Amino acid sequence: MKITRRLLVSVCVLTLSGVVPGFAMAADTIAIITPSHDNPFFKAEADGAAAKAKELGYDTMVLVHDDDANKQNELFDSAIAAGVKAIILDNAGADASVAAVQKAKDKGIPSFLIDREITTTGVAVSQIVSNNYQGAQLGAEEFVKLMGEKGNYAELVGKESDTNAGIRSQGYHDVIDQYAELKSVAKQTANWSQTEAYTVMESILQAHPDIKGVISGNDTMAMGAYAALEAAGRKDVIVVGFDGSNDVRDSIKNGGIKATVLQPAYSQAQLAVEQADKFIKTGSTGLEEKQLMDCVLINADNAAKLETFALSN
Amino acid sequence: MNMKKILAAGMLAALCLSGCKLVKTEEAGKEAAANGPGGDQERIATLVASTYDAKLVPKLTETAVDISTLLPAIKANLDDAGKAYGLRVGGAGGGWNFSVKGTAPVVDADLVSKAAVAQLDFDGDGKADATLQLGPVVKGSAIRDTSAIYDFSTFRDQIEYAKLGRALNDKAVSGLAVPESGLKGKTVTFVGAVSIRSAGEVPLITPVSLEVGR
Repeated sequence: MKITRRLLVSVCVLTLSGVVPGFAMAADTIAIITPSHDNPFFKAEADGAAAKAKELGYDTMVLVHDDDANKQNELFDSAIAAGVKAIILDNAGADASVAAVQKAKDKGIPSFLIDREITTTGVAVSQIVSNNYQGAQLGAEEFVKLMGEKGNYAELVGKESDTNAGIRSQGYHDVIDQYAELKSVAKQTANWSQTEAYTVMESILQAHPDIKGVISGNDTMAMGAYAALEAAGRKDVIVVGFDGSNDVRDSIKNGGIKATVLQPAYSQAQLAVEQADKFIKTGSTGLEEKQLMDCVLINADNAAKLETFALSN
Repeated sequence: MNMKKILAAGMLAALCLSGCKLVKTEEAGKEAAANGPGGDQERIATLVASTYDAKLVPKLTETAVDISTLLPAIKANLDDAGKAYGLRVGGAGGGWNFSVKGTAPVVDADLVSKAAVAQLDFDGDGKADATLQLGPVVKGSAIRDTSAIYDFSTFRDQIEYAKLGRALNDKAVSGLAVPESGLKGKTVTFVGAVSIRSAGEVPLITPVSLEVGR
């Protein structure tokens, strides 16, 4: 249904574009390509990048690849054809995205990656990612504390093709596995999805009713898991997420989900645009390609200061 | 400007429509498995073996600033202290990394916890000014990030880079000799690394060498 609607919109836009045969270039354009804005994290990225681009005098072309590498490839073709000066990308797969970024590079269009890495260096100009390992350790340390260092727990893992799913799981385990009385009874993927997490959590609950905590690879899955727990009358189960979304912030404030880890999505996207601007103007960012940004633990103490993936002082 | 957007959207729509038969490929992940835990572990072990004693410890020892010089400098202005004595890795924030050395009395120690620590007093007021991590659980990646020896860009991804951080931490604390009689009240001399993100925080130092006096 959603697809139908999107296609319909596309067709309308296509018709419109037919009415406008030619145009003059007013300003340089930066393409901003991310996963679906259904997840507020990606919307915050796109908004942050667009705001900075506008501030620096660029037009923007905001696109979503819906975590589909084929679609991403087509979006790159569009961006290249439109003659954009740079591409800001949160990619659709660490391995699968290399070719698309390379294709743009071959056409002289630099890419600046945010949030997710690709597995090859020297193709993108910048790869600015959250320090997911550091963030996961923060989340795990809080989880261990909340669990009282013991009990059965489940883990919800993100999409396998995304490096961030693996790195967060590893960060969690490097901390949690040090505590022999914390037992992992289930480790399942819910592909970053809220609805999938709801279903997965329901079945985990049936198999392991004695569960005491759930640590999740992102906030949307944490929201899905908590909804399932709530529906089953199990609000006692400790849930910890990752991302720092407003949804989870509100849940923390209401005593639902206990903690999350903020990724500075908004400022990260802005930083990528600043580096793109510098690269366009000078041919260099003056920085290393791969850059890590620290994450921050969010719990009841500081949740009130969180707004749209940024923490106020 | 708007026209351009519309045109772009139009072209995009045309492409989307023409690309309707999207074939799901079982991409990614699989390939990464070839580089999986086993392969990483071995590569990282080799890297640590060839660089830790030969490059990292000498570099940290050589560049270490005395912590009684560093602490006041950080309190005055973290960025100035960073520029004078530290190293910023990655360019995108994440604080400053310093190699540090010092001699100080231990005012408190927790050797029972898996994340064992000693609290050190540098200004003689009897209160802790810094924390020395003794492991086996070590927080952060200060050792990895304090020399320019390991560049993130040369690693496959965060996972491999994180494994290096963990391996270096393990290597560092496994070599420390902590007396069974405990540390409280004794004086320790150390060389190590620390990451500082805000001027107000208590430095959490990961030592690469530790000598325990009386």
